[in-house]
Amino acid sequence: MAREAAFSEAKLSHTAAMILQALDAGFVYGFSIMEMTGLPSGTVYPAMRRLERDELIRSQWERQSIADAEQRPQRKYYKLTAAGKATLEASRRRYPLLERLIPNAEAKSI
Amino acid sequence: MRPALKLEWASRILHAGLLRAASLLVPGRLRAEWRREWRGELWHVQQACERMSGTSWQGEREVASFCMGAFQDALCLRRSGKRGRFPFAQLHGAPSQCILILGTILAVSFTIAQLLPGVRAERSLSPGAVRPGLVTIEEIGENNDTMPKIPQSQYRSWADHKQKFFDGFAFYRVTTEVVERNASTRGNSVWSVGRAGANLFTLLGLPIRFRDPDGLGGSMPEVILSEKTWKRDFGSDPHVAGVVVQLGEQAARIAGVAPDSSLELPRRVDAWMLGPDSAMPGGGTGYVLAHLTPAGEAEMWAHVVRITAYGPDASQNDLLGFSLSARATGPWILYLFAVFLALVSLPAITSVSLGEYSQDPQGTSWSRKFTRWSFLSAKIALLLAIVYFASLDLAYGQTTLDANRSAYIQLMFSFLACLFGMRWVLGDQRHRCPVCLRRVSNPAQVGQASQTFLAWNGTEMMCMGGHTLLHVPSLPTSWFGTQRWMYLDTSWGFLFAGSTRPIP
Repeated sequence: MAREAAFSEAKLSHTAAMILQALDAGFVYGFSIMEMTGLPSGTVYPAMRRLERDELIRSQWERQSIADAEQRPQRKYYKLTAAGKATLEASRRRYPLLERLIPNAEAKSI
Repeated sequence: MRPALKLEWASRILHAGLLRAASLLVPGRLRAEWRREWRGELWHVQQACERMSGTSWQGEREVASFCMGAFQDALCLRRSGKRGRFPFAQLHGAPSQCILILGTILAVSFTIAQLLPGVRAERSLSPGAVRPGLVTIEEIGENNDTMPKIPQSQYRSWADHKQKFFDGFAFYRVTTEVVERNASTRGNSVWSVGRAGANLFTLLGLPIRFRDPDGLGGSMPEVILSEKTWKRDFGSDPHVAGVVVQLGEQAARIAGVAPDSSLELPRRVDAWMLGPDSAMPGGGTGYVLAHLTPAGEAEMWAHVVRITAYGPDASQNDLLGFSLSARATGPWILYLFAVFLALVSLPAITSVSLGEYSQDPQGTSWSRKFTRWSFLSAKIALLLAIVYFASLDLAYGQTTLDANRSAYIQLMFSFLACLFGMRWVLGDQRHRCPVCLRRVSNPAQVGQASQTFLAWNGTEMMCMGGHTLLHVPSLPTSWFGTQRWMYLDTSWGFLFAGSTRPIP
């Protein structure tokens, strides 16, 4: 709990807040986040590395069988952690337009 | 169709090549997974671009732009990997870094001093290691104590009669002998051999190591090796006792090893050949060691005792007995002398002032002052210890050097290292923020030399913690003679927003 509180108090850049919001909205792959936020790959992927390092998000490889069935390479998808959700809440208070920019209604099922 | 297909394959190879090139920047342990992720994402980007615009230059540009982002990602991973690998990066410029480096150098020089036998032997030289009351008897006014001066007849006269002030005498001569070691193939060498009576080591109070009990009482004369010779010529062989060596024309059996010499005898000796006084050739001169009784010690003044000797013909001879414990000063006295010389010479090469610290509008707390002076004291203490052990390593590491040359090397090295080391210590202290003790950085030239008499000009440096600015005048004037610290209040904080250094 103390850790979550510490993260929720942490200052988050606008880019990182957008990525967290996109993940929360269901855009769980790097490229889909790029498409949603309009940020270039050179910004999105390094930002996600930092968020993962700070344990605000976590990554997981999809099952090989899914990729094989769709005849495409396997992808890595990202999820918010509990600390990430708390930080996102704090970021929403800081950036009120964040939710309007990437509304949760457009969330896709994983 | 065929040219379009070729173009598509060429672009795919190009994109894959870009990713592979970028992956070379990624730390090896993360590379495979990184490639896998980017390859998967690239496939989706290519599919999306094809859906949007088919095979077109715009689509190709977007995919290429996506691939170029891989370089930034790879560089980000590389930088974070380096941060993880160098956990002490945050120490840069910190006082703890300085102490850590000095401590490491001290540990290395101390370890070397412990490992080198020559240094160990020299460090064992101390007045406390010598049996009290031992003196070497010499003639008055003789400056060259390496020349033997006492006639053997005089020694015999002393030894044969009961003395009030002495309870033991030993006589020895030193000759240079070619030595053959028949037990090994290491060849011949030349030793300084001290020929002495059998009571020498009893008088000196030195134990003999590795003594061979089986050889006691044999007819062959005994040889006691000095520790230096034992290590140099016998490779520290613990079974050296009993080995027979040929000293000149005489065969002798090694009976043991003398401990690290705690004595500064008039001449350095590689080995002692012990035998009864009667076996020593008569006549000639030699060195005499004597042990004072309590009455004799009471007569000693300033480590010297006056002796009046009467010859067989009732002639009177004035001699002096020099305390061996006073001569066994070891390298410590030499080092202290070098440090004294360096401290006296220091103002000649640098200013000993630490600059002005009195400009803090909030007042400098006593704890900060204490920390600052403690840090300076710790640096000086570490430096002096480093100089001591490093000078011993350098001067006495080579056992083949003679004593005078080693002493000269130790004196010169100690003096120079201490002099320039102290200069560095003071210079370093002058460039440390008085609040956090980090080194100031980012020097900037301020003002113009042509306006020296209108405004100050010199170098400005800043503490990256945002505590202070340091102003160093390039030309000292009557109103700005030495460096000054300008303490920054909290209104400067926004300039150092990215600083990770806390204000203590």
